Amino acid sequence: MRELAGKLLRLDRRAIFVLIALATLIPLLYPVGLPIRVSPEVRRVFDHIESLPAGSVFLLSLDFDPASKPELYPMAVALLNHAFRRDLRVVTMTLWVSGTGMAEKVVSGVASEYGKRRGLDYAFLGYSPGGANVIINMGQDLNAAFPADHYGERTADLPVLRGIRSLRQVNYVVSLAAGTPGVESWYVYGKEKYGFELGGGVTAVIAPGLYPFLDTGQINGLIGGLRGAAEYETLIGMKGKGMAGMDAQSATHFIIIGLILLCNLFYVVAPGTVVRSFDGPQDGPGPSTGLRTGSPQEGQR
Amino acid sequence: MPGDSGGSVGLSWRAAPFDGPPLRYQVFFGEQERGPYTQLAEFPANSHYKSDADRPWWSWDRTKNVHFYQVKSTRTLNLVNGRPYFFKVALTDGTQSLEGPGRSAVPEPNLFNWNKANNFLLMIVFSTLVLISISQAKRRPNIFLRRIPGLDAVEEAIGRATEMGRPILYLTGSDDMSSLSTIAATVILGQVAKRTAALDTQLKVPHRDPIVMAVCQEIVKESYLEAGRPDAYREDSNFFITSDQFSYAAAVDGIMLRERPAANFFMGFYYAEALLLTETGAGTGAIQIAGTDADLQLPFFITTCDYTLIGEELYAASAYLSREPVLVGTLRGQDQGKAFLLISMVIGTILATIGALTGTQTFVPVLQLFRDFK
Amino acid sequence: MTLFLRRTLPLLLTFLFGVAFAVQYYIPHPVSEGALTEISIWLRIILGFAMILGIASLCQVHYAKIRTRVAGWGYSLVVYFSMLITVAVGLWARGQETGTGLGWIYTYTLLALQGTMFSILGFFVASAAFRAFRARSKEATVLLVAAILMMFGRVPLGEYLVPAAGPLAGWLLNVLNLAARRGIIIGISLGGIATSIKIIFGIERSYLGGRE
Repeated sequence: MRELAGKLLRLDRRAIFVLIALATLIPLLYPVGLPIRVSPEVRRVFDHIESLPAGSVFLLSLDFDPASKPELYPMAVALLNHAFRRDLRVVTMTLWVSGTGMAEKVVSGVASEYGKRRGLDYAFLGYSPGGANVIINMGQDLNAAFPADHYGERTADLPVLRGIRSLRQVNYVVSLAAGTPGVESWYVYGKEKYGFELGGGVTAVIAPGLYPFLDTGQINGLIGGLRGAAEYETLIGMKGKGMAGMDAQSATHFIIIGLILLCNLFYVVAPGTVVRSFDGPQDGPGPSTGLRTGSPQEGQR
Repeated sequence: MPGDSGGSVGLSWRAAPFDGPPLRYQVFFGEQERGPYTQLAEFPANSHYKSDADRPWWSWDRTKNVHFYQVKSTRTLNLVNGRPYFFKVALTDGTQSLEGPGRSAVPEPNLFNWNKANNFLLMIVFSTLVLISISQAKRRPNIFLRRIPGLDAVEEAIGRATEMGRPILYLTGSDDMSSLSTIAATVILGQVAKRTAALDTQLKVPHRDPIVMAVCQEIVKESYLEAGRPDAYREDSNFFITSDQFSYAAAVDGIMLRERPAANFFMGFYYAEALLLTETGAGTGAIQIAGTDADLQLPFFITTCDYTLIGEELYAASAYLSREPVLVGTLRGQDQGKAFLLISMVIGTILATIGALTGTQTFVPVLQLFRDFK
Repeated sequence: MTLFLRRTLPLLLTFLFGVAFAVQYYIPHPVSEGALTEISIWLRIILGFAMILGIASLCQVHYAKIRTRVAGWGYSLVVYFSMLITVAVGLWARGQETGTGLGWIYTYTLLALQGTMFSILGFFVASAAFRAFRARSKEATVLLVAAILMMFGRVPLGEYLVPAAGPLAGWLLNVLNLAARRGIIIGISLGGIATSIKIIFGIERSYLGGRE
């Protein structure tokens, strides 16, 4: 028994990778569609957009790159759907250069579904270099930060931006962020100074870190990870990629829980097992460091 | 309007005793005293009180005696600084309305935002505390510093790399030079570089930010000079990979797998790439020392690295490694600041609780001192 | 003169800009706002130029690898090749992505590669959890239980099996996580202020490259 446990602990990690791959793939191919409970932080973003009268200015900043597409793209789709349904003036942009193409695609895609016209009902300002400084710049003078939109049209001439000289005239900003510059930058450099209401949508890794800002009202709502996207889709009655991914997420979470429990069981049965490093020559400092059991880390926990 | 940059006017008027839900206030605006006046806003008579508006912490007033409305420049209304405008307030029940006299107001920019006075005061207090601690430390340099095991292990890691004839990989995090964790990481790099220079071990520092790279080049060069080994310094020890998060992670993982460094240092701020880097490093069997204030990534660092400097330990590292009294003094100032905040929190909670139980407003100004005013 | 340029002038500029922009936060006057606008534009321009430094370093490192034929130098050729192709196609497409070669490179290489790197994270989380997430001490056990509760309560299946799991995970996030994070934020912020003061007053100057 002890030997078996030791063997399983030294299991090639590629076996675990296969398990995770299957747990993701199978539910995507055969979805179950479990009900999703909407959390209050997601509902607050929804409620705020609901409360905005038609013609209000809604700025959506898509601050992520293709790497975070699986989590944040469904949020962007859901929020844009909601904003266009409510006939808001939608202004979109990105602070991440590698996200420009993807942002353009989602904005123009959803806009065309609602028959919204570029420049008249919505604008895609594109990317402007400078990270968080762009926010300060927009707060001072929007036309200076973005003299032209993504398509080269002068922002000062766009009907949808008429009367919007800076962030002070924007009613609601939502930043969909995968890091910095992101939600915190929008709060520190934007909301705090220019006084618009701010909501956030972030990857699941970042979400727990934003709860303190939610509690103090520094952001009014928070959509976290694929789960948040699925909740928003539930609220607007849309069957999007967020909901489709929830079954896969359920399965992978359960696999990881199972693995953690198994690993603890094996360690009880076979204490002191040394876990092997990657395949390849054992030319590292060896088992006395890194992955040995009972590493110096223990003292720090 | 106090505390603004101009372009807006704050209107306040005494609340009427019969203010209630069926009644509504209307705010009118005119460019001349005689009019014409246009309506700007309408709201229920039991809303928009001066107590809702931001004001300096000492002048807090929760009573609903005065109504308040801020007229801001909008898409259709442009208030120019220094020019007089006229405003009127009317009370209406839907059928009849009672109109007040027209009053003039001139929007003016302010030289100080008194709403932020509490913030300013706390900044001065804390800065003074730090500067006093530094000057005290200069006079009495023997200040106790708690042992930080992660930093003690730096020497061990470099020694091991030297024995094995393998390079040391040092990452400065994913933020730019304006981030404090990056600054702390570069300071530690200077100390590490001195040791690698002395032991003639190869140091590799891949970068995500060109400015951080330029700064680190200077730091490493100086460290080699100080260690008396300018000949051992290699211009390419600091190099730029890409500013893209996951491309960078892929490239660094590649370096780890190909060159198998004996020690990996992860200092500074990290995002989702943290686990990709540390898990790969753990797989190669390298000694891994991390130091980060990216609290969300801490669980990943703790599970995959041998030592992790948590949060402020990273900032304390430069003081710990150099033992310079000035830097150690700063740490003491920081601790005093923390003690001050802790005590304030406890007292604040007690005062707020008493206030809520007894309904007294006595403590409100004290509590307002710690409020975040916009 | 060199010492003045390398040491005194940077410290003087750091002090002046540090103090000026700390105070700027409290001054709403248009002149102060104008200064902020101006600086924000400067910063953006400087950041743009900094990229040249990075690209030069990248080219230099890979050129050295090709010249000395170190192991894997062929990959350095790939770096040059991909960079030149992307730049050329980008210029040809005038920076536009819709229906151009640049868009093709973006969608079918960058997007796919980045997506792959990010998804590896999921696999690594699982393998790291299997290997290292153990109840070695009381503290580690608390971490373990909290992690399991969170993973259980944040997915529909968990909530379906145990309806109380969702609100429980929410409570963990909103109360325990929030309290701990606040503590960390306060500590980090104080450290941040202290470091800023040290830099503004020229006490911490190792970022300028060593000490005097």
